[in-house]
Amino acid sequence: MASVGFTAFAILFLIGMVGIFLWQSLPVWQQEGWSYLTGERWFFRQLEFGILPMIYGSLAVALIALGFSVPIGVGAAIFAAEILHPRLRVPLKIAVELLAGVPSVVYGLLGILFLRDWIYSILTPFDPLSGDTLLTAGLLLGMMVLPTIMTLSDDALRGVPTGYRQAARGLGLTRAEVIFSAIFPQAWRGILAAVLLGFGRALGETIAVFLVVGRQDNVLPEHWFSLRPLIEAGQTLTSKLGGAETHIAYSDPLHWAAIVGLGLVLLAIVAGITWLAAWLMRAKEVSDAPGI
Amino acid sequence: MRRVFDRFLTGLTALCALIGVSIILMIVAAVVWRGGGAISWDFLTDQIRLVGASGGIFYNILGTLILLVTALAVSAPFAFGIALTHGVFLRKTRSRERLMMWIYVLNGVPSILLGLLGFIVFVLFLGWGKSWLTGGILLGMMMVPTVAVSLSERIQALPSRYLDAAAGLGLTESQRIWSVILPQSFGGWVTGSLLGLARAAGETAPIMFTATIFAGATLPTGIKENPVLSLPYHIFILAQDSFDPATGEKLWGAALVLLLLVFSLSLAALPLRLHLHEEAKTS
Repeated sequence: MASVGFTAFAILFLIGMVGIFLWQSLPVWQQEGWSYLTGERWFFRQLEFGILPMIYGSLAVALIALGFSVPIGVGAAIFAAEILHPRLRVPLKIAVELLAGVPSVVYGLLGILFLRDWIYSILTPFDPLSGDTLLTAGLLLGMMVLPTIMTLSDDALRGVPTGYRQAARGLGLTRAEVIFSAIFPQAWRGILAAVLLGFGRALGETIAVFLVVGRQDNVLPEHWFSLRPLIEAGQTLTSKLGGAETHIAYSDPLHWAAIVGLGLVLLAIVAGITWLAAWLMRAKEVSDAPGI
Repeated sequence: MRRVFDRFLTGLTALCALIGVSIILMIVAAVVWRGGGAISWDFLTDQIRLVGASGGIFYNILGTLILLVTALAVSAPFAFGIALTHGVFLRKTRSRERLMMWIYVLNGVPSILLGLLGFIVFVLFLGWGKSWLTGGILLGMMMVPTVAVSLSERIQALPSRYLDAAAGLGLTESQRIWSVILPQSFGGWVTGSLLGLARAAGETAPIMFTATIFAGATLPTGIKENPVLSLPYHIFILAQDSFDPATGEKLWGAALVLLLLVFSLSLAALPLRLHLHEEAKTS
C-alpha cells in the first residue's frame, strides 16, 4: 500500500506544481489577462508584462536546435540500427550515451568560449553586435538534444520486427529501399515521438541557453518571416526564469506573478508536447503486430 | 541508379553518426586540453580562494556529493513505489498505461521549474533559505522517473517461472515482492539510480535558487540556511566572468572534474543496460 501512496504522491507532485504556479501567478492573469501571452513589451518597472518575445525566443532556439539535430540524429540512428555492423553498435551507443551525459553548464562553457566567437566571425558580414544570439543558443541546444533524438529514433527503428526487413530484402529491394518502404512506415510514430521529446527538452533547457542567448528583452521580428532577430541577442522563457529578475521579483506581488507565469506557460507547453510524444509511443506499442 | 542511391544513403548516414561521435570527442578534448593542467592534489583538496582564481574545489566536490546522496535517498522510495505499482499491482490493467504517461510527463518537466517550485515551497513558504536538503529533494524528484522506469523494466523482465514458483509455494503478494521481485530486480534500481545521478550531478537550474552558493559554505550543520557549494554552480558563475585568465584554468579544471564524475556514473550504469537492451530487442 505504501507503494501506491508514493505513486500517488508523485502524481500529486505534478498536479501540485501546476496548482502552485497557477495560484502564484494569479495576479498577473487578473491584471493582464490574455495580453500577458500576446503582449510585446516586458518592462517590470512600469509593471508591463507581455511575454510574447520570450515565447518567440524559446520557439526560435528550439526550432533551430531541431533543424540541426533531427537530420543528423535520425541519420545517425538509421546508420546505427540498419547499416552498422552489430558489433560496432556498442561503441557508438557508448559515445552517444556519454554525449547525453555532458552537463548543460559544460555545454554553456564551451558555447561561451568557442561557439560564440565562431558565430561572431561567421556573421561578420551581417554586422552583429556580439556572438550572443538566438542562433548561437539554438546550435548549442542542437548538440544537446542530438543524443535524445538519436537514441529514441534508434529504439523506434530497432522496434520494427526483423521479419519486415527480411521480407523486403527478399523482394530484391536495396537497403535504402527497405528503409524507406518497409521500416519508416512502421517506425515513423516512434521517430516523431523522438523529435517531440527533443523539442520539449530544447524548450526547457536553461543553463546553456542562459549563457549564450544574450538575454535581451523585447526582441520580436518585424514581420513573420524575418530572420534578422535570430542573429541578434534574445530572451527565452527559461533564460528569463534563470536570471537575476527571479531574485528580486518576489518583493512585488505582480512582478512575482509575472515570473511564475513564465513557469506555468513553459510547463503547459512542454507537458503538452511530452504527453503527445508519450501518446504516440503508446499507440505504437498497442498497434505493434506480432512479427511475421 | 538504385545502387547509387543505396551507397549515397549509407555514406550520408555514416556521416551523421560521425558528426555525433566527433562532437563528443571534441567536447572531451576541449575540456581536457584547457583544464587538464589545473588538476592536482591541491586543487582537489584545497578550498576555494580569491573568487575561484586560486585554491581548489574541495567543498564544491563535497557539496555535490552531499546533494547526490540526499537525492538518491529521496528518489528510492518513490521509484520503488511507482515501479511496484506499475509492474506488479497494475499488471494487465489500463491504468498502467496511464501511469506511464504521468511518468513520461514528470520526466519531461524542465529542471528550472523544479527550481522555481522549490523556491516557492521551501524558501518562500517554509523559510528554509538556501538548504542542501531542498537541493537533494529537488534533484531526487528529478531522478524518480529514470529510476522507476529502469526498475519497472527489470520487474517486467523477470522470468515468469520465478513468479510461478513463488505462487506455487503459497507466498502472499507481499512475501513475493520482498523475497522474489525486489531481490531479483535490484540491478534495475542500481542502473537507474546511476543514470539518474549522472543527470542530477550536472544540473544547475534546480539548485541555483534553492541550495547552493558560490563561496563561503563548508559542511552543513543543520537544515535551515545551510547551503552547500557545488561544482555546476561554481562553473556557472565563473563562466559568466570568464575573461580573467587566472580563473580560466581553474574553471576548466572544475569542468573536467564534473565531466569525469558524470562519465564515471553513466559508464558504471552501462554494462547492465547494454546487455539488457540488446537482449530485449533480439529475443
